[in-house]
Amino acid sequence: MVLESLTDNGVSMRYLAIISILALQGQAQHGKLDDKDKAKHPFIGDPVAIEAGHKQFANGCAACHGAEGKGGRGPNLLERLRSDELTDPILYQVIQKGVPGGGMPGANLSENEAWQLIAFLRAETSPAVEGRPGGDAKAGEESFWQTAKCGGCHAIQGRGGRIGPDLTNIGALRTRAQLRDAVLAPDLNPVQGYQSATVVLKNGQTLRGVARNRNNYSLQLQDGDGTLHLLQMDLVREITISKHSIMPNDYGQRLGKQGLQDVLAYLSRQSIRPVETAKK
Amino acid sequence: MTSNVRIAVLLALPAVCPGQVLYEDILKGPGANWLTYAGDYQARRNSSLKQITPENAGSLVSKWVYHMPKASGLRTNPIVYDGVMYVTNTNEVRALDARSGRLIWEYKETRSKKQAVNRGAAILGDRVYFLAADVHLVALDRRTGALLWEKKYGNVEDGIFASSAPLALKDRIIVGVSGGDTGMRGFVAALSASTGEELWRTYTIPAKGEPGSETWADIRGNTREYGGGATWLSGTYDPEMNTLFWATGNAWPDFYGGDRTGDNLFSCSLLALDAETGKRKWHFQFTPHDTHDWDAQAWPVLLELPIRGALRKVVVHANRNGFMYVLDRTTGEYLNATRIVEKLDWASGIDAKGRPILVPDKDPTPGGTRACPGVRGATNWMSPSYNSDTGLLYVVTLEQCDIYTSSAKEPEPKKNFAGGGANPKPSEIGQFFLRAFDPKTGDKKWEYPMTGPAESWAGTVSTAAGVVFFGDDDGQIVAVDGRTGKHLWHFQMGESLAASPISYAVDGKQYVAIASATAIFSFGLFEPMQQLEAPKITIK
Repeated sequence: MVLESLTDNGVSMRYLAIISILALQGQAQHGKLDDKDKAKHPFIGDPVAIEAGHKQFANGCAACHGAEGKGGRGPNLLERLRSDELTDPILYQVIQKGVPGGGMPGANLSENEAWQLIAFLRAETSPAVEGRPGGDAKAGEESFWQTAKCGGCHAIQGRGGRIGPDLTNIGALRTRAQLRDAVLAPDLNPVQGYQSATVVLKNGQTLRGVARNRNNYSLQLQDGDGTLHLLQMDLVREITISKHSIMPNDYGQRLGKQGLQDVLAYLSRQSIRPVETAKK
Repeated sequence: MTSNVRIAVLLALPAVCPGQVLYEDILKGPGANWLTYAGDYQARRNSSLKQITPENAGSLVSKWVYHMPKASGLRTNPIVYDGVMYVTNTNEVRALDARSGRLIWEYKETRSKKQAVNRGAAILGDRVYFLAADVHLVALDRRTGALLWEKKYGNVEDGIFASSAPLALKDRIIVGVSGGDTGMRGFVAALSASTGEELWRTYTIPAKGEPGSETWADIRGNTREYGGGATWLSGTYDPEMNTLFWATGNAWPDFYGGDRTGDNLFSCSLLALDAETGKRKWHFQFTPHDTHDWDAQAWPVLLELPIRGALRKVVVHANRNGFMYVLDRTTGEYLNATRIVEKLDWASGIDAKGRPILVPDKDPTPGGTRACPGVRGATNWMSPSYNSDTGLLYVVTLEQCDIYTSSAKEPEPKKNFAGGGANPKPSEIGQFFLRAFDPKTGDKKWEYPMTGPAESWAGTVSTAAGVVFFGDDDGQIVAVDGRTGKHLWHFQMGESLAASPISYAVDGKQYVAIASATAIFSFGLFEPMQQLEAPKITIK
């Protein structure tokens, strides 16, 4: 596992981690794990294996990597596992043998247990549409469009509002964890091009919307109905930009635990292409 | 203001019906907006804007540059509507503020199974359409870039991919496919502009038993099934006839014809298709049994010309094979053909029926045969333009000969096998010219020689003020007087060009834009910059 946050010496630890990965890659290239490179392990994507892996993770990994894998003493796995270098066979080796000199001990799990853990980690870090199921997508759909009214700002396949990011393909573009973070803490996860802005023009007109882009000389403002206002700054008297997302930050309370899972289940299904063609 | 209040304010804004790009808007032709690849349906590529003139073109300056991330060899032809420019790269579209070059939104099809060049987008209603390389039509909300739907209309596994700009008309989007150099079966299809559902599909290579199949002596059994006839460039459209004019690519294998004796219909042809049904109304094959990879992918320009004393609806097609053809648009009747290059030795002329009069021993051989034009063609897909005031058709031409080789190896489709190849002698690199032809007679009225490595794919745009802009072979955009060819202005963009310029206007100011290999450039007349009194900006 690539480690860099266990000590203050991030550079040297990163170097060590790369060396470790390369060493493990060497094993994978010359050992029996080569075959596993060619075909995905059957546990990958299997709900039963994923759930079993979740328990492995809670019992053995969460203490260092955090209950949600976001890091603690150990690094943030949600970010780290996106590296193309960390193939499944290398991950298997890292889990079983640890990182030599890096502070992570080997887990010494049975082969099945290790692959269950990998299945869980992949589910957590894969696009949500390919990831771990959970929640009632049908209930989430109703909540999205009616109760929570997410569709007032967000669109899916052309239905809905235009002031928030389009969610048509969001299940293929984000992990479930990213979706959860975006719903619960929009201020901490700002989306570029969606800053709330109020603009007063020199002719006295006031425009409100999101700044799709801006610099000192021009502003590309999109208002609530999607109309673009392409403004040169010589026409503008005053701009007020909000540091806060226009998305309410209390959806955790509004939805409740189950409601959140349901909405996440619905969002996770938003993939314009079938899952089998989505995989690289 | 709380988040809820902020949302309430935004949603409470008065509803303004956003502008819709109507079919009728496209019919008007290019002015402030540039709404199809060629600016109109006729491929005349002649802007009605008159602010930039031969007299003031010398004071043109670069207004902005937008560097497309990770781009190389951009082919995109910008679309402009209501001050927004839409440009494409492999599997992506970007909307730019056409006055400042600032990004408004971007859309990337990250899961396309194929990478390929992309020639541009189409616009209709409130949607922007483009083709993902893995043969999907993608529909986006033109204001936000939101994905509305995408529709797969072919299989990459069949050796095809998509690179062209789709053509939008009425209720449908017309699409084509690429891949003709490695074995595939070309087709043109109409997809619903609302849903992407296929309305019709017309194959360019006939199946066994279909009309035209008798022109394929399919010696080893797969050269018709994978016979090529790719449709990788947009076509033109006659609204009165409701007819599409679509060019087809080479027969496969490109350079070895021994396995496919016969004319190999409908490769290297122009097809007139009923836009409602896709039914072929007529065809004209420029290069029967082609062995020089002379796809017919050049623009079929729709004009009305006096022919033998009567005004006729014609289609003018400057072809890779070195001749410029004039055909009757209604019937496909061959009217005349004239040479557009000096270096032309594979045919001594065109006979009364429109067939080339072949010169012997010009087919590729294992040891190499010198033939002219070269494989890049006397012209190619670089856009010509036509100004009805000057009566001239502006065509980028290449004077070059190549050594063509062939291989009788058994053709293997989808294995990068073309049956040979072609290259110029190092001592005989070609030269590009911008040439002005009178399409009534085929006479060359003037020419503007270029310098460079003979590798350009850049075309032209003309304007009602009588200026012609073109990308040259040395990375420059050049303006010349459309009547005389006299130099007016040039600007060095510093990299090779593979796209054609357009012209548009925002707030009454005319611009000229073109893609270089990695960036979009926009030019306008010089204006002293006013000192900017910065607005008060508060972040809270």
